[in-house]
Amino acid sequence: MEDYHKPDQQALQALKDAANRLRIHSIKATTAAGSGHPTSCCSAAEIMSVLFFHTMKYKPQDPRNPNNDRFILSKGHAAPILYAVWAEAGFIHESELLNLRKIDSILEGHPVPKQAFTDVATGSLGQGLGAACGMAYNGKYFDRSSYRVYCVLGDGELSEGSVWEAMAFAGFYKLDNLVAILDINRLGQSEPAPLQHHVEIYQKRCEAFGWHAIIVDGHSVEELCKAFGQARHQPTAIIAKTFKGKGITGIEDKENWHGKPLPKNMAEQVIQEIDNRIQNKKKLSPALPQEDVPIVNIKNIKMPSPPNYKTGEKFATRKAYGLALAKLGHACDRVVALDGDTKNSTFAELFKKEHPSRFIECYIAEQNMVSVAVGCATRDRNVVFASTFATFFTRAYDQIRMAAISESNINLCGSHCGVSIGEDGPSQMGLEDLCMFRAIPNSTIFYPSDAVSTEKAVELAANTKGICFIRTSRPENTVIYSSNEDFHVGQAKVVFKGKDDHATVIGAGVTLHEALAAAEQLKKEKMPIRVIDLFTVKPLDKKTILENARATKGRIITVEDHYYEGGIGEAVSAAVVGEPGITVTRLAVSHVPRSGKPAELLRMFGIDKEGIIQAVKMAVSKSRNAE
Amino acid sequence: MASNFPKPEEKSLQALRDAANRLRLHSIRATCASNSGHPTSCCSAAEIMSVLFFHTMRYKPQEPGHPSNDRFVLSKGHAAPVLYAAWAEAGYIKEPELLKLRKIDCDLEGHPTPRLPFVDVATGSLGQGLGAACGMAYTGKYFDKASYRVYCLMGDGESSEGSVWEALQFGFHYKLDNLVAIFDVNRLGQSEAAPLKHDTDMYRKRCEAFGWNTYVVDGHNVEELCRALWQASQQKGKPTAIVAKTFKGRGISGVEDADNWHGKPIPKDKVESVLNSIQSQIQTNKVFSIQPPAQDVPEISYKDIKMPSPPAFKIGEKVATRKAYGLALAKLGNANSHVVALDGDTKNSTFSELFKQAHPERYIECFIAEQNMVSVALGCAARNRTIAFASTFAAFFTRAFDQIRMGAISQTNINLCGSHSGVSIGEDGPSQMALEDIAMFRTIPGCTVFYPSDAVSTEHAVCLAANTKGICFIRTSRPETPTLYSQEEKFEIGHAKVVRKNDADKVTVIGAGVTLHEALKAADELAKQGIHIRVIDPFTIKPLDANTIISNARATGGRIITVEDHYKEGGIGDAVASAVSGEPSILVQSLAVSGVPRSGKPEELLDLFGISAKKIIAAVKSTFAN
Ligand SMILES: Cc1ncc(C[n+]2csc(CCOP(=O)(O)OP(=O)(O)O)c2C)c(N)n1
Ligand SMILES: Cc1ncc(C[n+]2csc(CCOP(=O)(O)OP(=O)(O)O)c2C)c(N)n1
Repeated sequence: MEDYHKPDQQALQALKDAANRLRIHSIKATTAAGSGHPTSCCSAAEIMSVLFFHTMKYKPQDPRNPNNDRFILSKGHAAPILYAVWAEAGFIHESELLNLRKIDSILEGHPVPKQAFTDVATGSLGQGLGAACGMAYNGKYFDRSSYRVYCVLGDGELSEGSVWEAMAFAGFYKLDNLVAILDINRLGQSEPAPLQHHVEIYQKRCEAFGWHAIIVDGHSVEELCKAFGQARHQPTAIIAKTFKGKGITGIEDKENWHGKPLPKNMAEQVIQEIDNRIQNKKKLSPALPQEDVPIVNIKNIKMPSPPNYKTGEKFATRKAYGLALAKLGHACDRVVALDGDTKNSTFAELFKKEHPSRFIECYIAEQNMVSVAVGCATRDRNVVFASTFATFFTRAYDQIRMAAISESNINLCGSHCGVSIGEDGPSQMGLEDLCMFRAIPNSTIFYPSDAVSTEKAVELAANTKGICFIRTSRPENTVIYSSNEDFHVGQAKVVFKGKDDHATVIGAGVTLHEALAAAEQLKKEKMPIRVIDLFTVKPLDKKTILENARATKGRIITVEDHYYEGGIGEAVSAAVVGEPGITVTRLAVSHVPRSGKPAELLRMFGIDKEGIIQAVKMAVSKSRNAE
Repeated sequence: MASNFPKPEEKSLQALRDAANRLRLHSIRATCASNSGHPTSCCSAAEIMSVLFFHTMRYKPQEPGHPSNDRFVLSKGHAAPVLYAAWAEAGYIKEPELLKLRKIDCDLEGHPTPRLPFVDVATGSLGQGLGAACGMAYTGKYFDKASYRVYCLMGDGESSEGSVWEALQFGFHYKLDNLVAIFDVNRLGQSEAAPLKHDTDMYRKRCEAFGWNTYVVDGHNVEELCRALWQASQQKGKPTAIVAKTFKGRGISGVEDADNWHGKPIPKDKVESVLNSIQSQIQTNKVFSIQPPAQDVPEISYKDIKMPSPPAFKIGEKVATRKAYGLALAKLGNANSHVVALDGDTKNSTFSELFKQAHPERYIECFIAEQNMVSVALGCAARNRTIAFASTFAAFFTRAFDQIRMGAISQTNINLCGSHSGVSIGEDGPSQMALEDIAMFRTIPGCTVFYPSDAVSTEHAVCLAANTKGICFIRTSRPETPTLYSQEEKFEIGHAKVVRKNDADKVTVIGAGVTLHEALKAADELAKQGIHIRVIDPFTIKPLDANTIISNARATGGRIITVEDHYKEGGIGDAVASAVSGEPSILVQSLAVSGVPRSGKPEELLDLFGISAKKIIAAVKSTFAN
């Protein structure tokens, strides 16, 4: 309260005027586009005006400056008002606003990072606050700088559980540099939000999650200024009671106006009305930030030493992940790790032991963990690795999808893939994760098969743009590569090769070891095969696969601890299907598995040594019959 | 109110304490036998389970799936051994069977699955049980209008999952006073203490802020538990939360309340003394009378649901498939009174509002909480009480991928409809475009993926989905497209339609939704130039009609072009490629969206991402160039 200086009447009027200009911009732009959400913009006009022209400190011509306060529009469909505010601040030309949603404008329907002022894409509701938490955590604990983080959310949006995961996170880590503004405009898309205008319930909820919660009239610039001025030792929630479509006569607080632009003639009249309320056309400018952010360099991170494993040694790749990450942490003090209360299973705990101040426990909230990771990685402040069981990343698929749209460089490691985890049963087995991550644009998928390649995967992931996924396994497997083996993204390894090989078998993780065992056996039976370790499933090394397939009579057999759909078999099929004379036989998990011993389950689904031997023999006899 | 509490006699209370200790013995023995599992997570919940199963709940122990029974959902599924133990104590499972826990030939799996008749929904991915319990309670209160009650047991670590808070909000909003959530606040999670540790007051505040009638109790005191559960049964208009303060590993000396024991069986050398010490506290033999349920659940049966009339669309009529979905669902609701619909505040976009308008009492608004919507659907569909259809933008089903995945393990029959697929939604931009949904649903075991291309086939998809086991997904589109099929056309799962055919066809083009229409435009244009192509509508992407595809490919020189409004990975192109991967002479070229798209007009985007008629024509021509 102490540091609150009440703005004078003139300053307050200027903020009111700015708010009304934001309304006008939003209405004009959406009417020009013929689509968009003007009413969702209008409820937030005063909030945006006060934030951008009174409260926040930033350089309007350098929106991505690391010293700037951060702003996340979690209710991303109100994008036009975000664009309007940057036009008012002078970063965007006003005329550009009218190109909203056009194919050649960067002002898309929802915010995307091709706009310099957007750190994370929004538009899938309920994700902004988690990212804001990551930024605030970074600001408080890693950067230790004075920038603050502001996040605007809708009331309908507050039904998303991910919001409450973020609320709990911020409360737990006492992120006093974080402010959430809840735009309680009563309405959602298709009907009122469940709590209508019950601001006191929102307040109770925020307080129960460890926040300082203030109820304000969201259309009073004075109340907003005052609320933002309060300093606390906990995160602050501003519960702003507002009206959807505020300022638009006949539409304000009315249902059935969500996501609808005003018809042209109506727009003109409304704009005139709002314009009449504006007293001063003078543009406002924000206060500049304190320049106290450390310079960081996260480029070209190299492991301090080569892998320290002996071939033949037994090691689970999940453990190799933890060891590699801890090692990488010595190479760069901006490597940070997150986990969702599974660190003793994923082995992220090995990183925590060596670098406790750079480990963030996210508890059992995978959606928020991914959002926090995205937030930590914005503006290239950190190299972020987050881990849990591979299958629990399905919990965060929407966040991962949005992270790709955010052009994020986060690295995710999923342990416990496949039926080879054994007794815990299907709920814990990652059997759709390859499919899920393959369908993420610009993702890189590492599926290392031994400890050495796992260490390389971690190092490569740290230096690779886009989302990286590392799939690790529970069982201990033999180290097959020497410490000086070179690995590259998109380069497969031929790990078993003879002269007259009858087929090329492609495996990864546990199935690569099954394939190697099959190869030994088949060699004795005079039906030699070639074995390929993909190393990365995406990008796929089509060249190596094709060369070897051609050298082995066009026969490829894929074997994977994953469902049939979207995994290695399909990736390989899709890559070679344009090539004449090549056939692919796929071995994979065909239905919901069950509890049992790892070996029993590999057997049950035919993805073990025996299954491979059988498939090789079938493929050979099939094509012989065809001849 | 509390003063009327019919306090059980001391003898009964002792019997409940003894039962709790027997549950501990079973859990410890079973996890020792399997050499894996979570005995400490079982022990904190022993009294809770004992009071629920042998005092509070009303059910027929020999008929666990009976529709009148009270429901129990073990949301903290890793405590499965204590659930199995309770059913052994109730007499449904033979005790020696417990020692086969987690074995490949025993259905007592590591986490509960409906391979066991007393399990309605599989658990093991934390935070999902309460949403399903909400669905069951909603069904009990509003559809079955019966007296069965629903109980859900959760861990404290688990309550970090946002899905739990979505469910709490839902339970409050719909006043589910037949629902009780019990938080087993044993302080610890897996790898460290849960964030709120033993701060039961904080849990109480949170539950109350979410509108629940809340009691904090000593979770090892059977009397307090009996009382709180009785009070819950007296509560009207509000669901009840019981915050039970417990200790993880309760009763195991040296292990109780200690770190680093999660998911670890008791070591062989310790187990004898642990068992003896627990055994020594048991004073009685089992004598419980499990209360039978009131038999007030309506009988329902449905088989082979048929639409009351054939589709009413005319060939050429322009209708968006998303709208056809809403129309069809409303119609299906007329055919069968157990059809229910759910949506997440997008009903005016997905057109499920048409169902709501026709059948308001069978529509459940789930607000913007997709995870919970799917869980509620699962709960509604449990024990075949309803035929549930849930809809939102297809992209937002990614929010519930874990719930959908668990739905498959739960052997559920829910139907999901995702609208706004692909770049063809236009200006809203990539965050709203589903471009990974086919991949996601294809990888769900037993899932049927419908991708209808016109209003008639959409209506058939809805009817088929209602009659099909397993999860069904219907992908609909935003743009209006012409109706292709006549009212008499028959549709079957796994049967593709050849929609354009000529003996001179040189290539087979496979499209669906908007891209099927682009393919047809391309075919018309090419025909003018004397080039003929065959066009296939797959109707279902899973199962895929490999026979039709392969035979037509062979008839067109072995050439296939797939074109889809979806990312390349895991979609139609991949599905077709793998279906023909055993055919060395068939070549597939895939046209699909690559890279993150952007805002723009639908036609502009189809062209920009190479899936427009123009781009199909170019692809067809370049096929010959080679
Ligand atoms: C995860 C997710 N679900 C659904 C939607 C569709 N949607 C867009 S805006 C909206 C309503 C938002 O209401 P609210 O948060 O109150 O924002 P308002 O526009 O009222 O400010 C919905 C349901 C979405 N964008 N994201
Ligand atoms: C979605 C999800 N994330 C992570 C896990 C891994 N996991 C299994 S048990 C557990 C700890 C659970 O703690 P709590 O809910 O407190 O239950 P307790 O065993 O202490 O009763 C974790 C993290 C999981 N099963 N599901």
